[in-house]
Amino acid sequence: MWRGLWTLAAQAARGPRRLCTRRSSGAPAPGSGATIFALSSGQGRCGIAVIRTSGPASGHALRILTAPRDLPLARHASLRLLSDPRSGEPLDRALVLWFPGPQSFTGEDCVEFHVHGGPAVVSGVLQALGSVPGLRPAEAGEFTRRAFANGKLNLTEVEGLADLIHAETEAQRRQALRQLDGELGHLCRGWAETLTKALAHVEAYIDFGEDDNLEEGVLEQGRKPVSIVSPEPGTTRDVLETPVDLAGFPVLLSDTAGLREGVGPVEQEGVRRARERLEQADLILAMLDASDLASPSSCNFLATVVASVGAQSPSDSSQRLLLVLNKSDLLSPEGPGPGPDLPPHLLLSCLTGEGLDGLLEALRKELAAVCGDPSTDPPLLTRARHQHHLQGCLDALGHYKQSKDLALAAEALRVARGHLTRLTGGGGTEEILDIIFQDFCVGK
Amino acid sequence: MFYFRGCGRWVAVSFTKQQFPLARLSSDSAAPRTPHFDVIVIGGGHAGTEAATAAARCGSRTLLLTHRVDTIGQMSCNPSFGGIGKGHLMREVDALDGLCSRICDQSGVHYKVLNRRKGPAVWGLRAQIDRKLYKQNMQKEILNTPLLTVQEGAVEDLILTEPEPEHTGKCRVSGVVLVDGSTVYAESVILTTGTFLRGMIVIGLETHPAGRLGDQPSIGLAQTLEKLGFVVGRLKTGTPPRIAKESINFSILNKHIPDNPSIPFSFTNETVWIKPEDQLPCYLTHTNPRVDEIVLKNLHLNSHVKETTRGPRYCPSIESKVLRFPNRLHQVWLEPEGMDSDLIYPQGLSMTLPAELQEKMITCIRGLEKAKVIQPGYGVQYDYLDPRQITPSLETHLVQRLFFAGQINGTTGYEEAAAQGVIAGINASLRVSRKPPFVVSRTEGYIGVLIDDLTTLGTSEPYRMFTSRVEFRLSLRPDNADSRLTLRGYKDAGCVSQQRYERACWMKSSLEEGISVLKSIEFLSSKWKKLIPEASISTSRSLPVRALDVLKYEEVDMDSLAKAVPEPLKKYTKCRELAERLKIEEIKGVQQDEALQLPKDLDYLTIRDVSLSHEVREKLHFSRPQTIGAASRIPGVTPAAIINLLRFVKTTQRRQSAMNESSKTDQYLCDADRLQEREL
Repeated sequence: MWRGLWTLAAQAARGPRRLCTRRSSGAPAPGSGATIFALSSGQGRCGIAVIRTSGPASGHALRILTAPRDLPLARHASLRLLSDPRSGEPLDRALVLWFPGPQSFTGEDCVEFHVHGGPAVVSGVLQALGSVPGLRPAEAGEFTRRAFANGKLNLTEVEGLADLIHAETEAQRRQALRQLDGELGHLCRGWAETLTKALAHVEAYIDFGEDDNLEEGVLEQGRKPVSIVSPEPGTTRDVLETPVDLAGFPVLLSDTAGLREGVGPVEQEGVRRARERLEQADLILAMLDASDLASPSSCNFLATVVASVGAQSPSDSSQRLLLVLNKSDLLSPEGPGPGPDLPPHLLLSCLTGEGLDGLLEALRKELAAVCGDPSTDPPLLTRARHQHHLQGCLDALGHYKQSKDLALAAEALRVARGHLTRLTGGGGTEEILDIIFQDFCVGK
Repeated sequence: MFYFRGCGRWVAVSFTKQQFPLARLSSDSAAPRTPHFDVIVIGGGHAGTEAATAAARCGSRTLLLTHRVDTIGQMSCNPSFGGIGKGHLMREVDALDGLCSRICDQSGVHYKVLNRRKGPAVWGLRAQIDRKLYKQNMQKEILNTPLLTVQEGAVEDLILTEPEPEHTGKCRVSGVVLVDGSTVYAESVILTTGTFLRGMIVIGLETHPAGRLGDQPSIGLAQTLEKLGFVVGRLKTGTPPRIAKESINFSILNKHIPDNPSIPFSFTNETVWIKPEDQLPCYLTHTNPRVDEIVLKNLHLNSHVKETTRGPRYCPSIESKVLRFPNRLHQVWLEPEGMDSDLIYPQGLSMTLPAELQEKMITCIRGLEKAKVIQPGYGVQYDYLDPRQITPSLETHLVQRLFFAGQINGTTGYEEAAAQGVIAGINASLRVSRKPPFVVSRTEGYIGVLIDDLTTLGTSEPYRMFTSRVEFRLSLRPDNADSRLTLRGYKDAGCVSQQRYERACWMKSSLEEGISVLKSIEFLSSKWKKLIPEASISTSRSLPVRALDVLKYEEVDMDSLAKAVPEPLKKYTKCRELAERLKIEEIKGVQQDEALQLPKDLDYLTIRDVSLSHEVREKLHFSRPQTIGAASRIPGVTPAAIINLLRFVKTTQRRQSAMNESSKTDQYLCDADRLQEREL
């Protein structure tokens, strides 16, 4: 029955979908067997960035990123085109170096990618590496640790590097904290809270279930957090919003009042709110009456909203707009069309359904563009780290689902929570006990 | 190799120092010359008895001082031992050759393992214990322990001398002063005074000083400790009323029968003293709104509830349950107090209402309509010493050679007390012989978690063991406490008997051998399916599957495996415990990627060839992680420190393996000598 908690955990895990582009369930177990990768040059903008891998899958990763070319000559710089193994999209033309073990820094098979230093390139290569099975981002100091374990470093070298790593870890921590002030941090903290609560209830069932008959209570309490949905501040009553799944993307659809001038005070308020919503939207579906394009309100709308979004260069703005002309059935089939000066648009007839497929296809493309790049923030290392921990959390929750033994299941929840708290901080046992005693009357 | 299957209970074999007298009972404190002991233990409760016998097992001449010899081993509250987390502690106490598990196997009246459906890591061994039998058996054991002397007397003060310069602390304890003014000298002193430090009993609006109903509190000692500068706090706890058995209508209540077969607490016992069919049942009933009403109407008559002193959240009185969780029915377990006891203990009804109202409330409860209250429930408030003032070996920072164990450190529960008692006894003795302290780490046992939590975090409510406090819960299981602690207890502390040590060694090597054999047997899944048809082995992929992986299926055990592959597996089913433990070992085998072991005897504070900050050294010293992986999880231990540690361990290992090759023969000779010495 405690398995009911799974729904809760699954909900908690569902959130990171946008971030966890890696879908492979067979994520490599952390351990010396895994192949690790990291940006080895400094952060920020620089001419050249060096990305390193170490471990048995290094050669494989290099081959995949430089397909169809074979491995370059060992310890020789070679120019290769790197492309994303998932999409085949080219990432960068880069110098690559192949160091088969044991003659490498760590003693394992190593690869160095010397790429152009732009954040987009580095991020792209790191994400491409992350998508190769058997590869995961390196922990702080892990390259050095491996080098040492394989007898590649002596004491003084290690000590010097240790200081360096310490500094690096510190920078990483600060960077992680900075990034966590934002929305992502808010989201992670929310998930961590949900998991903490779930764990507390499983722990309560383990420590007190037998004597105190907590079983029923645990599940009731455990299900509650499921109802938490993404908090959307500022939702107004007159803007109707529904979360929908459009072509696989989670989308919040807002239906606003039509933008009309010279209406009564109540509708004016509706229009004001619609405009406000318009500014926040990632994608605007501007709907006009195809047979009424000459009317003043239509002209005004085209001039202010459509033109202003269209005027921004695509790279400056994350906002996109689709102009849709409804009531196409009212246009005469032989006529000249709605108008020659119009920006790109789609014709639709809600009455006949004509043009609906085209609209959906266009929507899918736009959404892919909006959601494809999940974050516009550049910090690269921390992003790989976030992805790693979120993936780790997800994997652990998968183990939770499979476990028949409740102690093992609880362990999976502990690991999942551990991954999240490494992003958010906190995570002590007292926190769990506090929840237990707050929620349950335990003790005979 | 020697091991004892089916040997009932046994007495610790005598140590080499046979010239010392066996335990004796001395009531004559005014002996002609001032007596001198290695270790003095003050208090004969669950911490004191374990501390005294552990010190004696370690070879120290030990004196147990108690108010009254006839209260040694008294169970002052619930008539039960063990439970979830607590059962783990008992197994660990037993692994260190402590008493309580063995005594419980001789004194229980209802044995039941909790959490049976939840995986072996969280099974909770528990039993209802006959109070009278427990006390009798404990006293018999105490009075027959070699090197242990028992004496009646109340301690009023400590004798203090100059500190040893090589240790921290502003002075050193060298003995005690009794109420009658006489003195006893000792090298180490252990305080296990329970709730007696300025103990105060509360019923309704009445209070009177007492450590336990009918026993005097210790006031002089509390003042001494305060004067020395110890930070003192106040805690409270309570106990329910006792009800006459014949006044309860059990026929309308829910009856709970014990397990069959009974699982003993001690590794050394195959069975318990009593057959399951002769054991006593427990009964379950519930409170109702009328109980709530009586509590709420009479709050003004209940000073214990109004107090701000912290009580345990997990063992609340019925009053606080009603206040915090109103409009609910709370469970009341009716537990037997013993085979021939006419008392019943209503677990869940701890209360401090005025005595006459207690009976009124109880008679509202189903089955208890005509119940007679024989002894009212009461609350106890007592002093405890902030446990952050003691080291992980339980010695105080302030006073050298003074140790605290049990409720005095802010814990609650017999098992928590016993666990600290063993550790204090061992360390008091090691201190006398100038050996390094014996510390159990968080990665080694529940005892380690308990002591680490207390000494690093302190506590603001009576501290109880929970499995949720334990980070390494999957590997710290009741079944493997011997592998974790018995070998260390024998080698590092000297508190474990030869027999127990050999048995633990045999078990450990048999398990290792069994697992490697199970790994070596490989068949295609289709063949396994034919061999063990009842197992739900998937044959969709024709890959070779190891016997070890087949054992992971719920419906497969060593018996079914041995039936399928008699050679070489048959021999692992001959010993029941071994067969069961092989199965459990396999269930937990999920996450062992941190293979690199850290040496147990590493002294983090002094090792020189490794660059570690002082802060990191202290953290490692306190936590004593078993593996590099565990070390990296300790908050505050930096990746840089891990690398340095790794380097250190690697070079040490290389050096040692070179040395071991040359000195293996020497080692064998040495071991043989030691064995002979012990057998003398």
